[in-house]
Amino acid sequence: MKHLKFFAFIISMCVLTSCYSVRLRNVNGAPQLDPFSDRDDYYRGMAVVELDTVIKIKLTSKDFTFLIKETDACESGKINIIEYRNTFGGVLLSVITFGRKRKVKIKYVCEKPSN
Amino acid sequence: MATTKSKLLKEWNTLHKNGPFPLKLLYQTKLEGERVMPKKIDRYNDAAREIQRLIEETQDAGEGFRAYGSAWSMNNIASHKDRMHFNGSMNISMPIDETDCHQDNAYDPEDLFLFECGSTIKELSETLAENGKSLKTSGASNGQTIAGCISTGVHGAGLDVGSVQDYVVGLNLIIGPNQDDIVYIEPESRPALNDDFVEKLNARVIRDDDTFYAALVGLGGFGFIHGVVIEAEPVFLLKRYVKKIKKSVAFELANTMDFKNSSFKIPEETDIQGKGNRPYHYKVFINQYSDDPNCVVELMYKKDYQELYPDPFPVIKESLYRDLIHLFVKLTENFPNSIPLLVKSLRKTILPAVNEETTGMLKEIFWDAPYQGPAFACSFGIDHKDSEKAMNLLGKLTRDEGPIPGIFALRFVKQTKATLGFTKFPVTCMIEIDGVLWEKTRKIMSLKEYSRRMIEVLQENNIPFTIHWGKNNDWEFPGLVNHMFNDKPEKWKEQREKLLSPEMQDLFSNEFLKTIGLA
Repeated sequence: MKHLKFFAFIISMCVLTSCYSVRLRNVNGAPQLDPFSDRDDYYRGMAVVELDTVIKIKLTSKDFTFLIKETDACESGKINIIEYRNTFGGVLLSVITFGRKRKVKIKYVCEKPSN
Repeated sequence: MATTKSKLLKEWNTLHKNGPFPLKLLYQTKLEGERVMPKKIDRYNDAAREIQRLIEETQDAGEGFRAYGSAWSMNNIASHKDRMHFNGSMNISMPIDETDCHQDNAYDPEDLFLFECGSTIKELSETLAENGKSLKTSGASNGQTIAGCISTGVHGAGLDVGSVQDYVVGLNLIIGPNQDDIVYIEPESRPALNDDFVEKLNARVIRDDDTFYAALVGLGGFGFIHGVVIEAEPVFLLKRYVKKIKKSVAFELANTMDFKNSSFKIPEETDIQGKGNRPYHYKVFINQYSDDPNCVVELMYKKDYQELYPDPFPVIKESLYRDLIHLFVKLTENFPNSIPLLVKSLRKTILPAVNEETTGMLKEIFWDAPYQGPAFACSFGIDHKDSEKAMNLLGKLTRDEGPIPGIFALRFVKQTKATLGFTKFPVTCMIEIDGVLWEKTRKIMSLKEYSRRMIEVLQENNIPFTIHWGKNNDWEFPGLVNHMFNDKPEKWKEQREKLLSPEMQDLFSNEFLKTIGLA
């Protein structure tokens, strides 16, 4: 029982410490705003695109590139802020699928188009 | 064609959550794409037609209309209970050519630029930097739109520069739905653009000092500000110092603005006689809960631009845990006596690091401010000669009748010519308390009550004052605007009535203007 508790503690510590976010922000350029958004976090008032998916790649592929397209929520097609989240589940998924499945959990805000 | 999205809503809030305020319909106009309409002037005029269509639609519905940009104002000045327009997507910029200038133009044409209303200070600065230019001053950050800045009198701490509205050369306003309701206003005493250029904007020209200076800080009541012509200047660097000095010395400087004969000197910033140079920017931070005889001051000196200077940006910028701020607020509401200790413990986050030295362009020094949750700010303009007296009175009030979760800072700004500009004194000291927004409890008074007490204390002690239009205060205080500006509110109203039809005065009036008796 004592060992079980210790094991559970170690696992929970691994899970907790392996979940973290990293945010990158351009020094230049303004973020695209969304007046209809009701977010109340760091991205308040911004047009945020959130992606939470699993990408499946070929065994022969080393990595992949996710393309940011021009959309309503990303009018310029250029990134201003991007935040990715690393999770224990994501790391585990990549390990057990030998890297074929990659968990992608990102938020990004595009540059406000210049005129 | 410019397109407008709209959404039915029940309420709207500012960036810092100072509301909510009621609202029925929110518009957002987006410009036509440059692939379809390559010429900027065509896209600009196309957007003007779209705004006129929305004004007509609103008028037909018998409702009111108000434009807003970044929602940075901390009261309801930017709100309207009927219809609001988000203009942040309208950001065309155009340099002014020498051939566009008036025959009596006294500005260097290379310094003149037209910016559409929704351009933010950051966007203005970047456009100008690409042309080797800079804004003369900005607020403490860069997210406000140019139209929002001038409408509310946004200022920095430029002793000899003034506020954002003070480098505006001309205003392009949309004052109704009809063909002759697009106007370009500039002072007759200092014309900048010629009639041919104004015609390209489909506007009629008004050259009149009184109209221009009334509309300059127009509080959103002079119609839809579509474009603003500004005077920039060659790009420069600011060298920023943060020092801890005796409060008595800091206030001596505040009261006299005499940096030359002060005992405080920065060795690198003296003239050949060893006397102190006059800074571009002077700011004093006061923690009203601290007995420390010293205080932190921030000074900036203007330098010629050079290519090589140390990177002013840190690599990492940390933000506080939002939960920590929430905890701070809850402690404040339930245990107000803990506020001085909390302020002290957060001083490293609130105050700049002492002995910090940074060099950068204006746009780099006054960079992005991340959103950190609900906030308040009460800001009074007083004659700089009254700064020590006013600080002592407001500090005492905050300690005795508070405590209140915020700390004071004083900035100094050159006088404005705008009729209702709150930087009305020869050098105005903007004395401001900033902090986290709290809810009234049995143990702590409300923000409105606190604001009211600040007004009363300044009045009781015969300190003439103004209030920042975009900040929190007790705007219902009886006779407030006339007390602050004497006969100027009447002059402002007179110009508004001259420019706008009665229907449009009504359409562009909101609760804020009604509360303060200007509509």
